[in-house]
Amino acid sequence: MMTEDLLRVIVVDDEALARTLLRELLGAHADIEIIAECGNGFEAVKAVTEKKPDLILLDIQMPKLDGFDVLELIGTDVPVIFVTAYDQYAIKAFQVHAVDYLLKPFGAERLADALARARARIGAREPLPAKALVSEARAARSPLERILIRDKADVHVIPVAKIDYFESQDDYVSLKVGDKTLLKEQTLSELEQLLDPGRFVRIHRRYLLNVARLAKIEQSVTDSRVAVLQDGTEIPISRSGYAKLREIL
Amino acid sequence: MHPILGSARRLAFYLLAWVLIGLLLSAGLGFGRGGDWVTAVLFFVPLGVVYALITQSAWYVCRIFPLVRSRGWHVASAQILAAVFASGIWVAAAGAWARTLAAMGVDAAGSMYDPQRPLLFVVGALLFWLVSVFFYLLIAFDASKDAERANVELTLLAREAELKALRAQIDPHFIFNSLHSISALTATDPPAARRMCLLLADFLRETLRLGGNEQIPLAEELALADRYLAIEQVRLGARLNVARDADSSAASCLVPPLLLQPLVENAVTHGIAQLVEGGTIRVAATCSGSTLTITLENPCDPDRARTRGVGLGLELLRKRLTNHFGAVDAVYAQEREGHFRVEVRIPAVTGAHA
Repeated sequence: MMTEDLLRVIVVDDEALARTLLRELLGAHADIEIIAECGNGFEAVKAVTEKKPDLILLDIQMPKLDGFDVLELIGTDVPVIFVTAYDQYAIKAFQVHAVDYLLKPFGAERLADALARARARIGAREPLPAKALVSEARAARSPLERILIRDKADVHVIPVAKIDYFESQDDYVSLKVGDKTLLKEQTLSELEQLLDPGRFVRIHRRYLLNVARLAKIEQSVTDSRVAVLQDGTEIPISRSGYAKLREIL
Repeated sequence: MHPILGSARRLAFYLLAWVLIGLLLSAGLGFGRGGDWVTAVLFFVPLGVVYALITQSAWYVCRIFPLVRSRGWHVASAQILAAVFASGIWVAAAGAWARTLAAMGVDAAGSMYDPQRPLLFVVGALLFWLVSVFFYLLIAFDASKDAERANVELTLLAREAELKALRAQIDPHFIFNSLHSISALTATDPPAARRMCLLLADFLRETLRLGGNEQIPLAEELALADRYLAIEQVRLGARLNVARDADSSAASCLVPPLLLQPLVENAVTHGIAQLVEGGTIRVAATCSGSTLTITLENPCDPDRARTRGVGLGLELLRKRLTNHFGAVDAVYAQEREGHFRVEVRIPAVTGAHA
């Protein structure tokens, strides 16, 4: 008789008691091994990067990085079972995308069901609709206040006020923060949707500018215009970009 | 329903008033006009009582043409027409009565009627309008009483709604998380699980009980906050610390119920629970002179993700305090460099516990 594959699991919850309970309940499953327990999102991203688990049990409400932040950072890498006590937006997102989730408090049976479904998904190599889930759950939020960047096992949290401008680089976006440049896997249009349109303006197909950094607008010899930032950096402005800027200024 | 004919007592008073009017008519139109006192009274008092009944019709005229919603000339023409009819009937009745009295041998009655017919008609119309004015006043009085009653009902409804909202304020997130903690403790530490159950039950019971009062001593509100924080300490462990400092004069002040609770909940959910390393919530209350000051401080993450609806609790509290104490700006909230502080300043009220 063949034994089922051993499932290597990471448990993520900021509450020690909740982790204790999961440890106890998962202990009844011989085919599951807990390879890491994380008390916050940073540890979770690190553990996912370093230990490559088969499954994550991920709590939604956590400090600094919540469950959706973690999901945004790890993407579709790992199957996830979400855990939440009460979050209407999250639950709606889970239902819309038919994703497994556990509502606290849950018992052994619910957990066993969720694990069985997760196994089926892993077997079928069904990817998690991470992006859709994150944007659905974020719909409840006010405009994006910070940008999360995963740098291998580390996570950088950058308040948007510190960002000078975003520049499109195909499937990536580069962020200029003072003299530093950071890369994030996201399109410029997606970011534009999430940021406060009163503070960040798409002045060009390739540039999204933090209006607070704008020093002046210069007319160059030809018909085009150039945005001069406070540190002297020059960024081209398109015709429609100029119209948008004039609306705000 | 007719305001006079509908009640025997009022009808009696009304008829009595008309007997008096009859006596006045006797004095004005009867005595000295070819008749003696007895004849005048005999003629006019029964006529007064008869007219008392005829003028009841004014009620229906007033109802059909209320002053507030009818055009002026509608009211005027209706009242003139009605007065002409009523007075006409009355004058005719007076004629019949004069003839009856004459047939009974009181000859002087005829001398009070015949020469004064036009005058009687005018007096009849004036009296009809007097009754109309009386009914209009009655309608206005009833309307203001109705408005007052509606106002009282509305106040009661608003209060009920506020209490319902207060009770509904118990955060479902808090309940489910607490139950999850109890579930975790049942295997590892059963006595702690039981303690947590009792704490949670006490907290829920107290919230429901306090919400039903108009005002409660601050001490009870502080005790409720203690219970809440004790429960959250089980869940958050070493991340949550509490420092409390309330002087005894402040503790005995009366405050609207569940004033502190939303602030404490905010401090935990948006403050401590958003910090990886946690922190200390400081609750202080002082009473100086006529002002009660309650302050609540907690560390917070300046870069935390803000969900919609945050600040709603503070807004609600502000509104409640304005309703309670009148137009005072009682809530001061301030966030600076990862430190949140909210101060509530309200009049210090002491007294018997409501």
